Amino acid sequence: MRRADKKDEPAVYQRVVLKNASPYHYLKVCLVVEDDSTRLSAVELKQFIITGLNSLYGEVGAALTFDLLKYDEDTLTALLRVYSRGLVKLWSSLTLLGSYQNQACAFRVLQVSPYLLALTGNSRELQLD
Amino acid sequence: MSADLERTPRNLLVSERSSFLDPKNRISSQLVQLHFNYKVCVLLPECSSAPSHLDSALNTFSSFYLIRNLPLYELLDTHFLETVRHGGVSGLSYRTRLDEDNCVALMPNGRLSLSLDKDSFELLGVEGKPSRFNHRAKSRFVVCVDLTDSSMAPGGRGHQRLVTGLTSRLPLKTDFLMSLPAGGGASVQALLSRYDWSEHRPEVISCSLTDLLCPSPLTSDPSSLTSDPSSPLTSDPHRLLEWLGAVHAAVSCENSSSSFLSSLVCPEPNKKLSHALSVSVCGLLSHQDVQKLIQEIRVYLSVSPPGPASWASVTLHGFVDSPVSWGGEHGVLRGGDNFLSLTMFPDQSYLLHLAGGAQDTCPP
Amino acid sequence: MSVFMDLNVNYTADKSRLQSLIETAAHLGFSTVAINYVFEPTAKKKQEIPSPTPISELMDSLPVVQGRSRPIRVLNRLTIVMSDASHFRPTAVEYRRYDLLAVQPTTEKLFHAACMIYDVDIICISVTEKLPFFFKRAPVNGAIERGLVFEVSYSAAIRDSTMRRYTIANAVCLMETCKGKSVILSSAAEKPLELRGPYDITNLGLLFGLSEGEAKEAVSSTCRSVVLHAETRKTASGIVHTVKSCSQSAPADCEAPPAKRARSQLTE
Repeated sequence: MRRADKKDEPAVYQRVVLKNASPYHYLKVCLVVEDDSTRLSAVELKQFIITGLNSLYGEVGAALTFDLLKYDEDTLTALLRVYSRGLVKLWSSLTLLGSYQNQACAFRVLQVSPYLLALTGNSRELQLD
Repeated sequence: MSADLERTPRNLLVSERSSFLDPKNRISSQLVQLHFNYKVCVLLPECSSAPSHLDSALNTFSSFYLIRNLPLYELLDTHFLETVRHGGVSGLSYRTRLDEDNCVALMPNGRLSLSLDKDSFELLGVEGKPSRFNHRAKSRFVVCVDLTDSSMAPGGRGHQRLVTGLTSRLPLKTDFLMSLPAGGGASVQALLSRYDWSEHRPEVISCSLTDLLCPSPLTSDPSSLTSDPSSPLTSDPHRLLEWLGAVHAAVSCENSSSSFLSSLVCPEPNKKLSHALSVSVCGLLSHQDVQKLIQEIRVYLSVSPPGPASWASVTLHGFVDSPVSWGGEHGVLRGGDNFLSLTMFPDQSYLLHLAGGAQDTCPP
Repeated sequence: MSVFMDLNVNYTADKSRLQSLIETAAHLGFSTVAINYVFEPTAKKKQEIPSPTPISELMDSLPVVQGRSRPIRVLNRLTIVMSDASHFRPTAVEYRRYDLLAVQPTTEKLFHAACMIYDVDIICISVTEKLPFFFKRAPVNGAIERGLVFEVSYSAAIRDSTMRRYTIANAVCLMETCKGKSVILSSAAEKPLELRGPYDITNLGLLFGLSEGEAKEAVSSTCRSVVLHAETRKTASGIVHTVKSCSQSAPADCEAPPAKRARSQLTE
């Protein structure tokens, strides 16, 4: 998956091109629950996502590791990190999760990127009025 | 035919190390090829407040304009073309999405790029070519014209054709962001007066960080990053970028690799910095202002007393929905990432990372 | 690619819920939605085809699409669930009140007829039961050539894990036959929390056997072509456009029993 065109010059100049080398993907997600006073702790949120993986992909899916990098309990907004090869599975489990403790719910996936940095500069968030 | 669920769309990362002193360094042309800058984030370690000249560079980013419902033929107006020919005018359609809507970009060199859906393209009746990122059917087209070319002078053939297209056949209107060269405000007053517009100052957010876990080469011998290619941060740029991302997104790296919630850790070995300063500027930012900022940071690095953690990082985010980036056509598949990250050191060497997404040409 | 569309949000008599469905769709980035009226005739007696509530009666002002400055576009769609050939009445004027016309055939014979003959826009694939028949290549290709599209809806897969199995299995089965062409993915949502964003649906499409590009087309370009197909169908190949001219006498017409009304309009 890697292509590198190194120019070995005596100077310090070096250029490397990496294709599809990003080990992880990052997701910014927000959980919306029918009763908007519902609060989850970070551990509960992660458990909930694992339930989703388990119900769609079984035990093997539940073993897919992902990280809850950051979580805001007030807005139920979280940053997730997953190995790139697990992205489609994690994302589709989030999409198909429809109830939390017998209440309707939905994960809104706000942004997905192979770079965590990109999640800090999304021009679609620019609000001017 | 079942798709491989482990694959993700293509992404590209170019990683470069060089020096401002190297006569062959291409940093300024690389910066320009990002075309439209949405946000610049600066990270200064061991710094609690920016020195005055740097602070002023951060706070004097020129303002930009938002014009609502601008008919596109106005961009071909005689007076406006005059302003464009002097250079430095850039503009981008606002509240339009590149994978869905018609998008417009006016580059500082006077090139106008329209990314149009099939219907609009056929109505406009001006020469263009299918988008490189069409899937199966040709559903999106790109029209590129050089407004400084003689045929685009008022009355010229190309000009007439495009004006007729944009007035009678495809009366395209869009909210438009525009930034002008210093002192260019007067030249567009006539244009602005005809529409609903507002002036916006880029938003500056400054944040002081304390007890920041930082990967070791950056705390002891930062210049080794550019002189020693085997350093783990240099050989695997994703580690450095992830750490920078974590700092800017305020994600804690203080986990153990076995913890339940998150196993994100700062690359080893690492050390704590007592404080650091993170500043971001957000809006439609001009290249001149960005170059000036980078220049000031270079000065800052060269005059500040040599310390164990003297380096600075600048991240420059492009607009997701810009039809051009990295010197070529840009597209959005599920995210239109285009950004660069520049880490600078006191000896004038730097590490540069250029990132592109699924629908980008390889960064320069 | 064109704008994102969800051509199936379920009609409900609960006006505020319908409004909230449309608002959520706009907020998620959909530029067009179609309100779906489901009509399931029984073989016994003739039933009245529902007539759509005008959009202006549903909402005073339409919500703005996320990140854009234009309001969402709302269409009306009729889906006829067919268990008998008599359920589809090619000349019914009631159909003309809808922007989009869909059928959900429940037998192989009807599926074949829908693909090859019926003048409709969308053929719905059942997602709530095991497929009662296999998709044959000939009718599927015939439908594609006639500009029809197949619809897979995903909200049943959110509601229930058994339905989820059927949804995925039936979708994969369809994709193997149609090779990812002429497929639209829509919600069939009854509640706002059953709606998902366009990129979520694109990703979900990968599970159904679509490629990234095909999946994105299934919520954008393919939806656009079916809306165009519907417009040309209603205007006789886009050449003749008929408009009902008796707007004066319309209120009186509405009082009449449906069967009579239909006949009077047919003979106009």
